[in-house]
Amino acid sequence: MPIIKLNNTYLERLMKTDIKTIRDNLPMMGSEVEREEENQTDVQFFPNRPDLYSAEGTARAMRGYLGIETGLPIYTVKPSGISFSIDPRLADIRPYLGSAVIRNVHMDNAMIESLMDLQESLHGAVGRGRKKVAIGVHDLDMVKGPFSYIAAERSTAFVPLDYDVSMTMDQILAEHPMGRAYAKIVEGMPLFPLIHDAKGNVCSFPPIINGELTRITEETKNILLDVTGTEPRAVMIAVNIICAAMVEMSATIESVDVDGTVTPTLAPSVRMVSVQDCNALVGIAITAEEMKDLLERMRFGAEIVDTDHVRVTIPCYRADIMHDHDIYEDVAIAYGYDKIPAVPPTTFAVGKPHPVQEVYSLVRSILVGFTYVENTPFTLTNSNVSYRMMKRPENPAALHVLHPISEDQTIIRTDILPMLMGSLSINRSRELPQRIFACGDVVENLVTYPKIAATSIHPAADFSEIYAVVDAFCRVLALPYEVSESVDPAFIDGRCGDVYVDRKKVGVFGEISPEVLGAFGLEHPVAAFEMDLSCLL
Amino acid sequence: MDLTINEKRVLVALAEVKSVDAAVLAEKLNASVEAVAQWAHLCADRGLVNLEMKVSEIVVLTEEGRKYADEGLPERQILVSIDRPTSIAELAKHPLSKIAIGWLKKKDWITIDKGIVTAKLDVPERADELVLRRIRENMGKDILQTTSGGCGELIKRGLAEISKMVSWNVSITPEGESATAAGLDIREEVGTLSREQILSGKWKSLPLRRYSVNKLPKKIYGGRVHPNQQILDEIRSLLFGMGFTEFHGSIVQNAFWNFDALYQPQDHPAREMQDTFHLGEEMELPAGWEKIREIHTTGGCTGSTGWGGEWSPNIARKCVLRTHSTPLSIQYLAQNPKPPAKAFSISRVYRRETIDPTHLPEFEQLEGIVMDRDLTFGHLLGFFKEFFSRIGFESVRFRPGYFPYTEPSVEPEVWVDGLGWVELGGAGLFRKEVTTPWGIDCPVLAWGLGVSRVSMLRMGLTDLRQLYRSDTDWIRASPVRRVQLCR
Repeated sequence: MPIIKLNNTYLERLMKTDIKTIRDNLPMMGSEVEREEENQTDVQFFPNRPDLYSAEGTARAMRGYLGIETGLPIYTVKPSGISFSIDPRLADIRPYLGSAVIRNVHMDNAMIESLMDLQESLHGAVGRGRKKVAIGVHDLDMVKGPFSYIAAERSTAFVPLDYDVSMTMDQILAEHPMGRAYAKIVEGMPLFPLIHDAKGNVCSFPPIINGELTRITEETKNILLDVTGTEPRAVMIAVNIICAAMVEMSATIESVDVDGTVTPTLAPSVRMVSVQDCNALVGIAITAEEMKDLLERMRFGAEIVDTDHVRVTIPCYRADIMHDHDIYEDVAIAYGYDKIPAVPPTTFAVGKPHPVQEVYSLVRSILVGFTYVENTPFTLTNSNVSYRMMKRPENPAALHVLHPISEDQTIIRTDILPMLMGSLSINRSRELPQRIFACGDVVENLVTYPKIAATSIHPAADFSEIYAVVDAFCRVLALPYEVSESVDPAFIDGRCGDVYVDRKKVGVFGEISPEVLGAFGLEHPVAAFEMDLSCLL
Repeated sequence: MDLTINEKRVLVALAEVKSVDAAVLAEKLNASVEAVAQWAHLCADRGLVNLEMKVSEIVVLTEEGRKYADEGLPERQILVSIDRPTSIAELAKHPLSKIAIGWLKKKDWITIDKGIVTAKLDVPERADELVLRRIRENMGKDILQTTSGGCGELIKRGLAEISKMVSWNVSITPEGESATAAGLDIREEVGTLSREQILSGKWKSLPLRRYSVNKLPKKIYGGRVHPNQQILDEIRSLLFGMGFTEFHGSIVQNAFWNFDALYQPQDHPAREMQDTFHLGEEMELPAGWEKIREIHTTGGCTGSTGWGGEWSPNIARKCVLRTHSTPLSIQYLAQNPKPPAKAFSISRVYRRETIDPTHLPEFEQLEGIVMDRDLTFGHLLGFFKEFFSRIGFESVRFRPGYFPYTEPSVEPEVWVDGLGWVELGGAGLFRKEVTTPWGIDCPVLAWGLGVSRVSMLRMGLTDLRQLYRSDTDWIRASPVRRVQLCR
């Protein structure tokens, strides 16, 4: 979730109220106040509300929530007479374009910064790092329509933002900081997206960088907005959010003709919702009139149709309204979560543990009875600890994570014993004897199953001690078992046994090989066992 | 005054001599000097004797010095071996020659002329050798009370060093004398009673050792359940009491269950490799997966618009380590679509996080669902109030939240003194987009809880790593905590 930096003075001006009231109400409107400073308030909004990612958007919503200005914001969009054409060759490259003309802009530095921040936040939240949607804003008076969105040769050159020399698009990808940062998105494309004006002046190389020619400054009066992308709904929502924010800065919006389609319309969408359904979902009892008020406070338009039906008009910048329940949630937020009657459900059911968890509880109590102390090690581990240090061959059934975050966590454990050896190693300086165990899930191939392992370290730990524990463990579980001599390189040859239940090998026990002790830096004998607990299910 | 038998023995022995060195007393009592010093200290604590510590400087032979005390100094050994004029080259063959030749010259025991060595005859014993011999004659007691004479030379040669010796002088005090005069029973005290002593009734006439309650016992450590597991078990039994059934499932999930079935769009940032542990394996999609595709692209028959765009079954097949336990919840519901249902699990979940005091790549998540006709968002809030109060948090507030799979959504927070409002989880009613494909036609309350956070608050930990590090001393020292009782 992006952190939105809100300038307090600017916010107060937009809000027509004081910063304290704003800060007090932000959490209950659905944001987290990250940091409060004298001039600035940093907040986080949820990823479903990119329309709040600016001081303008926040103020618009908050004025409604506080009842300062409610209902649907009305936008009038006149045609600008400017048109855009889209090169059909972009179909496999970056096919969608949304545009708008924003006039009567009077931006000071704080406003320009706010616009740039909004653009960046939208690149992240809606644009998925510019891949899905990228936004460009241009000083319209530096260029002249009609504009063309084309698939251009990679050798096309122009002066990119922050530079004073002309560069080819390939050069920009290799040398310009923005080019290097976003080159991955256009990697391998035969032609690159490009926007130019009637005279061939380059405005932008989406989604990488704008041209220096159309840079926005405090003198900029009129803006040309371009939003390109791979998904038409996301492109339009970005256009709408930017335009709606600019209206809050007292700008006026004009439409652009994109291959015969007029964009944007900034028109609301409509949903017919039910008061009864809303009450049933939220657990309140409001009337259609009350619902209308609450909706208007969330900046919806609302018109009562009958006692159960309200016609809701949804502002064009709301990307999150996919279902009636999304509207009911807004009603609940306006109603106030703390005012909703909180009544525990009366649903009757009888609780019981899951068999695997029950087995874990059972074996825990047995091992504790044998004076073993429980450990709860990680399930992520690595081949070195699990196999090499144990002197065992690698287990081909172990699952490897594709992009490990550290060398310590590259596989999911197939055994628990190595983790206990690791624990003994950490606890080398602690008082002996130490008897520890752990039970939990392991994974082989794609199957999760339960295991237990236990170790005992002290100067007299030996085969007989752990054999006695295994025997007692199986006896109290009434588990008929057999034992046969085994060869496991983790144990001393001739001091190791396999445990069989129903002729299936379920475990191993014995005295750990001094070679393994050395690998874990241990100086005393260790006796250990490990068992698959599936046989208890 | 309850004197131990050994303290009494010290007093009786002192009564004759009044004042004596601890070593002498040790010989008399047939015990080690250390033991006698310890008993005398106990008597001194009671004011019955005075103890005076004496520290003296002594000379102690080093290992090399002890060797030469037995065999003679190297130069003496070589001197003895020269029975006729010998060349230097010949002499150099002697293993000790390296050390010895210099000393032979320095002590003027040989003359060298044109490379031929001639030894002096009848060289008398020097002071350094005298010191070594005294030690040899002193039955190997390599301790000297002097630093004069040959000692200095031996120290310089690294054959001896100065050490400090501590000795004790013990003398009886008037209190000690009057205690002794009153008579002391020095029969051997009986510690552990034998079977015979118990059965015969002899124990009645035996001097039974009195044990001091002021002396702390030896620490023992029993076996125990891990402190974190103990809290988790307490929460589990609490939920059984509230009628919840436990579920449990696979650590490995395909993206279908982990994300798609929970209405997370396929280009959702949380699905990317920065946040999620992806595996190379794939898992087949369950029957009816096409409904999920329809819901994502168009909303299907749920009344939703869906996300739009494309939805790929290939992406859905790819396996991940479960990033939350909600895939287990939805699978439980898919298997039990008929109301009512109350279920929960505490499961390890995996996030691609670097380890630090507040982040771990794996931790426990508590997750639960309630499915029934006529359930509302208010019931979810009611459940939280009830549940939080049962685990010891009285003040709860509810903030709007956002999760792709619930609507309305809420983030419950509890008040913790000193910390303020602490977010403890997330919850909501499952979206229609999530429940409809599995034939679930009534509301489902779904809630998740950062249960490690509850454990940390309860144990007063600030470092999450402590929960999984399995530090034996920490586990041994942790008191048993009960969730409900530590308000």
